[in-house]
Amino acid sequence: MSAARTSLGPRLRRVALRQSYAFALVLLVVAVAINFYLQPNFFQPGILSGNLLLFVPLMFVAVGQTAVVVGGGIDLSLGAIVSMANVIFVSLMGAEPSTSRIMLALGAGFLAGILAGALNGFCVAVLRFQPIVTTFATSFIFAGLALYVLPEPGGAMPSGLVGFYYTNPLGIPVVLWVVAALLLLWGLLRSTRYGTYLYATGGRDLSAFVSGVPVSSVRFLSYCIAGLMASAGALALALSTGTGNPIGGTDLMLQSIVAVVLGGTRLSGGQGGVAGSLIGVVILSLIQSIVSFSGAPSSWQTLINGLIVVAALAGPGLISLLGRGRRN
Amino acid sequence: MAEVSLSAQHLVKRYGGVVALADGSLDVQSGEVVALMGANGSGKSTLGKIITGAIVPDGGRLLLDGEETRFSSPQAARRAGISAVYQELSLVPDMTVAENVWLANEPVALGRVRRRERKEQTTRLLALFENTLGSYVGPDSLVSDLSPSERQIVEILKALSREPRVMILDEATASLGAQQVERLFELIGDWKAGGMALIFISHRMEEIFQVADRATVLRSGNTVGEALLKETTQEHLVGLMIERGVAERRVERTADGGKTVLLETEDLRSPVLDGVNLQLREGEILGLGGLQGQGQSDLLLALFGAVPHSGTVRLAGEEVHFSRPRQAMREGLAFVPGDRGGEGLLPVRSILENLLLPSWSRYGALLDMRRARRDAEETSRGLSLKMGSLDHPVSSLSGGNAQKVVLGKWLMRDPKVLLLDDPTKGVDVGAKGEFYNILSDLRQRGVAIVLHSSDDEELLGLCDRVIVMRDGAVRRELSGGDLNKPALVSASVGAVADPVDDPSSGGPV
Repeated sequence: MSAARTSLGPRLRRVALRQSYAFALVLLVVAVAINFYLQPNFFQPGILSGNLLLFVPLMFVAVGQTAVVVGGGIDLSLGAIVSMANVIFVSLMGAEPSTSRIMLALGAGFLAGILAGALNGFCVAVLRFQPIVTTFATSFIFAGLALYVLPEPGGAMPSGLVGFYYTNPLGIPVVLWVVAALLLLWGLLRSTRYGTYLYATGGRDLSAFVSGVPVSSVRFLSYCIAGLMASAGALALALSTGTGNPIGGTDLMLQSIVAVVLGGTRLSGGQGGVAGSLIGVVILSLIQSIVSFSGAPSSWQTLINGLIVVAALAGPGLISLLGRGRRN
Repeated sequence: MAEVSLSAQHLVKRYGGVVALADGSLDVQSGEVVALMGANGSGKSTLGKIITGAIVPDGGRLLLDGEETRFSSPQAARRAGISAVYQELSLVPDMTVAENVWLANEPVALGRVRRRERKEQTTRLLALFENTLGSYVGPDSLVSDLSPSERQIVEILKALSREPRVMILDEATASLGAQQVERLFELIGDWKAGGMALIFISHRMEEIFQVADRATVLRSGNTVGEALLKETTQEHLVGLMIERGVAERRVERTADGGKTVLLETEDLRSPVLDGVNLQLREGEILGLGGLQGQGQSDLLLALFGAVPHSGTVRLAGEEVHFSRPRQAMREGLAFVPGDRGGEGLLPVRSILENLLLPSWSRYGALLDMRRARRDAEETSRGLSLKMGSLDHPVSSLSGGNAQKVVLGKWLMRDPKVLLLDDPTKGVDVGAKGEFYNILSDLRQRGVAIVLHSSDDEELLGLCDRVIVMRDGAVRRELSGGDLNKPALVSASVGAVADPVDDPSSGGPV
């Protein structure tokens, strides 16, 4: 307590709370170093951006997950929403669509994602269901719908769009455009009233409520944002693979939570941000390549992801235990 | 600032069959501070909450500037210019001071929060309490880094930032230091001069005389009097707060103070407790009185090892330090919490399981169910539990009987010291009577009991001695002839003189 009272303590804590990705940066450096040791040419710009391009869908989903987690919730259905929107995009678009057809497919895919988020938001914010159970249950609805729209992997995206996805507009890889756009959007959101409300709601909902924050609407909207981001992720997935897959988003659910956790956003809400989550995605991609370069079976990746989440859940408890030990 | 007047007339609020406020009236206008006073359960918080829109009344009228209004939420009241200072309730710990002060009231331009303006305004507000805050406190400080008194000041600034016409300070000085209170009172003077109307709810008699112009006194949910503070005395106000009549004596008091001291504390401290010394004898009921939230619950929790504390605790002459309830339980202490549903019981499990929960270790590794059931039956008979069977869930019991189960599960361990934290709150009168009989029996058997109650009648009717707590410390011990209502109330509110000695307070009490 008294240590936090020195002039430096509170400032450091504030920085740590706001820029909670400090720890993520350390992890990033470690992961980069290991990768560099295992595979020196991994960091050639072309290979690196090509590798990261595979993680663009996850970037979108992780950003959506961040919004929900900061607001004090969690969304286990984002992977299924990605699958659903993905097959909607692919099956409505076809290989050689007209412009209006493309617009229709894009509109339908994004609308589906937002509606799915709205359903989650309605159950959690209005009906006050538990987020974990609710979104786990709705994930089966969305997964079922995805299989209904496209029972088996297939279909094709227009080759023009797919080609564009792999270009470097203005000489800058698509990945960087995406990262810049997401950071900019989040910065904008953060500077609105809604941004403040989101952190207040996740930080302590009762306080936010008595202060006049419309807590239910804030929560509802956070799930809608997540749904929208899942749709964007689904589009990126369709473009990167050029085809549709009704279970293509499944892995993104756990991965998005891992990215959020690695990025230093506390799962109990009210703190953290998108910058950390994006770093989390990059760390995840590096871990993945470490696993594959080291020759371990790819199933290890899932195991490691699970361990990261468990460690993150245990983290705050361990820290407070250590703190208590010191006090006594 | 425009003139403002607020008038609450004959407000009523009921919770089920319980009347929290029967006839609450209060008037306040620009340039005036009205103190709202009353003993525990007098309805002063209820009245305050109706005015701030936190509670919707069942009857009566609320007039703002002469026009009848009704607030459906705190936001509605705030829009009408009424702000309340909550006790740390409205702050988000992980946000900065500036963000908290302007939460849901941010200065906005083109959809974006004007952070610089927010910061400047916050700096301006903080300057009001200059030199009474730590040097590290600024608009960008995290609220979680502030001390309780600094957080309270942030609450005050938050209410002020909405430029209210009427401000309600509900126990707002409770966690402030002397210097900060002084500064607040200076500011209240300025706000008054600026045309603000203030309602000051406090239990500190001294402060009321210092800051308020008028006092409105509530008793048992009724506004019973008003007085200009210039023209009245503490004795008169305490007299208004006290119910006439003598409390019914439910347990014969024992005169012998010579019994052995079982539990003793010296300078017991915790974040809430401020050096508590007490002695508890065998076969005695010691009451913890005072206004609510003065550290009574914390004292019980500290004795039970459930909250961190320092100081000396001696049990039967030997020094002990309990850092976990299990250790206290091993030494024969038992704690009955006040919140039945929350802490005391597993509602969907059977009465049998609930009774046996703390005692399973006595029935072997492979549970001797027959013996366990026999013991549970015996205990339930002793409690005269009204139940279908021991196998029915606790949720099938009435409130009073459920509370008996909470007591019973600890009695099965034959405790030497029983700590009761407002055990009869919300329990009906009939069940209360039976509860009192059980306590009386236990006392006869030599169990030492510490009873915290928010019901003064209960303390007066049951206890051999009552210690009155205020601000986390024991302010007065009442026993024998001193154990009466006027003494208890005066000690609770910190009045200097005993109203019994004052002939003007009217008749024998």
